[in-house]
Amino acid sequence: MSEFKELIRRFDKIRSYVRDFYIYGFKHRTEYQQKSSRTYDNERRRLESWFSRYIRSDQSGHKKSVFITLDSGRMAVNPLYQAWKSKTFTNRDITLHFLLLDLLSDRHPHSIEELTDRLQLQFGVLEDSQAIRRKLSEYEKEGILHRQKEGKQYLFSLADDLRNSTPQLFPALGSAVCFFQGTAPFGFIGSTIMDFWNLKNTRFRFRSDYLIHTLEDEILLPLLQAIQEHRLLHLTVKSSKTGQTRTVLAVPLKILVSTQTGRRYVCVRRQSDCRLASLRLDSIRDVELLDVDPQYASFQKAYSANQPYVWGVSFGESRQPETVRFSVRLHEESEAFILNRLEREGRQGTITRLEPGLYEYTRKCWDAAELLPWVKSFTGRVVSFTCSNPRVENRFWDDIRLMKQMYQLQSKR
Amino acid sequence: MKTEFTLFSQMYSCYYQVVRHILSQASGNFLTKQQMKEIADTYSYQESALSIIPSLIQGDWPFLEKIPASPAASSDRYRSRLTFSGRDFPTPLTALQKAWLKSLLGDPRIRLFLTDCQLALLENVLEDVPALFRVEDFHCFDQYRDRDPFTSIQYRAHFATLLEGIEKRELLTISCLTGRQRILTATWLPCRLEYCEKEGKFRLFCIARRKNGSPRMDVLNVGRILKIEKTGQISSEEFSIDVFLDKSLCPDPLVLELTNQRNALERAMLHFSCYQKKVERLDSGRYRCFIYYDKRWETELLIQVLSFGPVVRVLGPESFLCQVTERVRKQPDRPLE
Repeated sequence: MSEFKELIRRFDKIRSYVRDFYIYGFKHRTEYQQKSSRTYDNERRRLESWFSRYIRSDQSGHKKSVFITLDSGRMAVNPLYQAWKSKTFTNRDITLHFLLLDLLSDRHPHSIEELTDRLQLQFGVLEDSQAIRRKLSEYEKEGILHRQKEGKQYLFSLADDLRNSTPQLFPALGSAVCFFQGTAPFGFIGSTIMDFWNLKNTRFRFRSDYLIHTLEDEILLPLLQAIQEHRLLHLTVKSSKTGQTRTVLAVPLKILVSTQTGRRYVCVRRQSDCRLASLRLDSIRDVELLDVDPQYASFQKAYSANQPYVWGVSFGESRQPETVRFSVRLHEESEAFILNRLEREGRQGTITRLEPGLYEYTRKCWDAAELLPWVKSFTGRVVSFTCSNPRVENRFWDDIRLMKQMYQLQSKR
Repeated sequence: MKTEFTLFSQMYSCYYQVVRHILSQASGNFLTKQQMKEIADTYSYQESALSIIPSLIQGDWPFLEKIPASPAASSDRYRSRLTFSGRDFPTPLTALQKAWLKSLLGDPRIRLFLTDCQLALLENVLEDVPALFRVEDFHCFDQYRDRDPFTSIQYRAHFATLLEGIEKRELLTISCLTGRQRILTATWLPCRLEYCEKEGKFRLFCIARRKNGSPRMDVLNVGRILKIEKTGQISSEEFSIDVFLDKSLCPDPLVLELTNQRNALERAMLHFSCYQKKVERLDSGRYRCFIYYDKRWETELLIQVLSFGPVVRVLGPESFLCQVTERVRKQPDRPLE
């Protein structure tokens, strides 16, 4: 049996485990059937080590479930970022990393030959110059070293540290990093800057923060690249409902973020039916960039034209937008917050005062079913609800009836 | 974004961070195994010390020199063999980290932290760096409309004063507009800022003194602050906001029962993932979810639960259940055609 290691080679291997432990947390060992039980044991131990402060377990009979539980509003730094800091390396990698940076810490340029000799003389580390060259080139690409040519040889020196080269930016930039690591895309990169600069986030917290997004960042990066370069994509998508995997050829147009449901999507123009659609980032398994699409500008134009008619992410099936209309009853003096809710959450819908204490909200959209969760959040006040799509209208009133049944309340007629 | 970035890289590994901290502390100093273990426990995973410490002391990673135990020191000690001098081991930012910083320049909230001069300087420093992402490629479609005015001169000035006040522990006299449109003026110790992406708003968590002298936590909307005056008084006391927040946690969790009808399980678990929670599987495809929540956000949670309709059923606590049933009871039925 191989020795247990905390570090991993590929991030995508761990993505679904972290998600299952964090989002669900009720699954038992036997339910992780895609791999062997030993693989599960290793992954579980790894996650217990990474997230030790937030791991809990529950015993039900002989079955034990392990889960990650935490209040995201209390976190200074997203604990799931720890997963990004688990890349494996060799003894040679870490040896060369610290010794080369040490030799270059005098800020002077050095040749490969000189560095090779000094590694042997100062530290007794014998490496061939090709290995040193590869590591230096890798670090030049990473941006932490500069390369310059002098005569026939290349010289390497350490890149500037912003803290030394631009002290006027500090401590303000440090505060900004502490904030944006919790709220900007790819926040884990901000947390690595905090590591490098020895910063602690003591000032900021983030309410209703969906920590799980970080697991999608390896998918998000090529999507953004494709948007910027107007490229066609070959996407591998696994449905969370059916578990089936399919491939999609599409041009990405926008990343759609829900700040209320924890989902992120990419809005694409699908090549198969030439329609706009949205795909959840957590369902995308692989992204392959293809050629630049010369029609990209026209797709973006189509997105912009349709966007005012999209409540969430759905572009619907019909050719005509659907109309939702509902009215709510409120006490104008003591319940003005309801009107505030309609205004701030209503996404450009029209609000009309029908009579004192009765307000009507109207909106056109491609898929009216997307509004239902929001309308149901006004339960208790909805006087009327109509929709040009009768299925949506029926669904709303059926749900009200079912809720009354569920809580054993009598209908009023 | 011409450069090909690698997100998952050993450069950011916890293990590298631990070694960097050990080397920084062992430069011109001696460290024991126990001290190295404490550093590993602070900066890495639960079991990392088991791999890192042997690699360092056995010489697989040849950074330390052993000073054997002596009458003066009861255990072996280690010091760095590296030559760098100074407090920290050098850590220049990678191209990926700089690209991330460059992207922040497109976010209006960066102006809350940097002055116009600092912004111009940072733009200049990062001039040749490609941005990792563009803010305009994202659309937060369900964010509230009445977000804080991050670029307003007054808001920026208030924010900077609050940040400085938190840093210095300086008492501030703040005038703000209450929910009932009254102006409240009092002196508070600013402690923490909370940002809510959904609302696009900052809240200030601060401490005031009651008449009997005991501390009380207040929460102010930064967008409703009208005026801040520095008092010049520095608080000698440090307060833990988490201790106050613990007091406002509901003693009993919200208990929900749900099925997987309409994909409710996945939707609800993701939706409520920002709360501390526990999920149990019952028989016949039903699930029970326990959500631990702050009393201050009970109405918001209630609204979220109602939005799921009949696929999520509230079982308790009693006070929460009463509120849900009251709303459902008050809801009129479908009007007759």
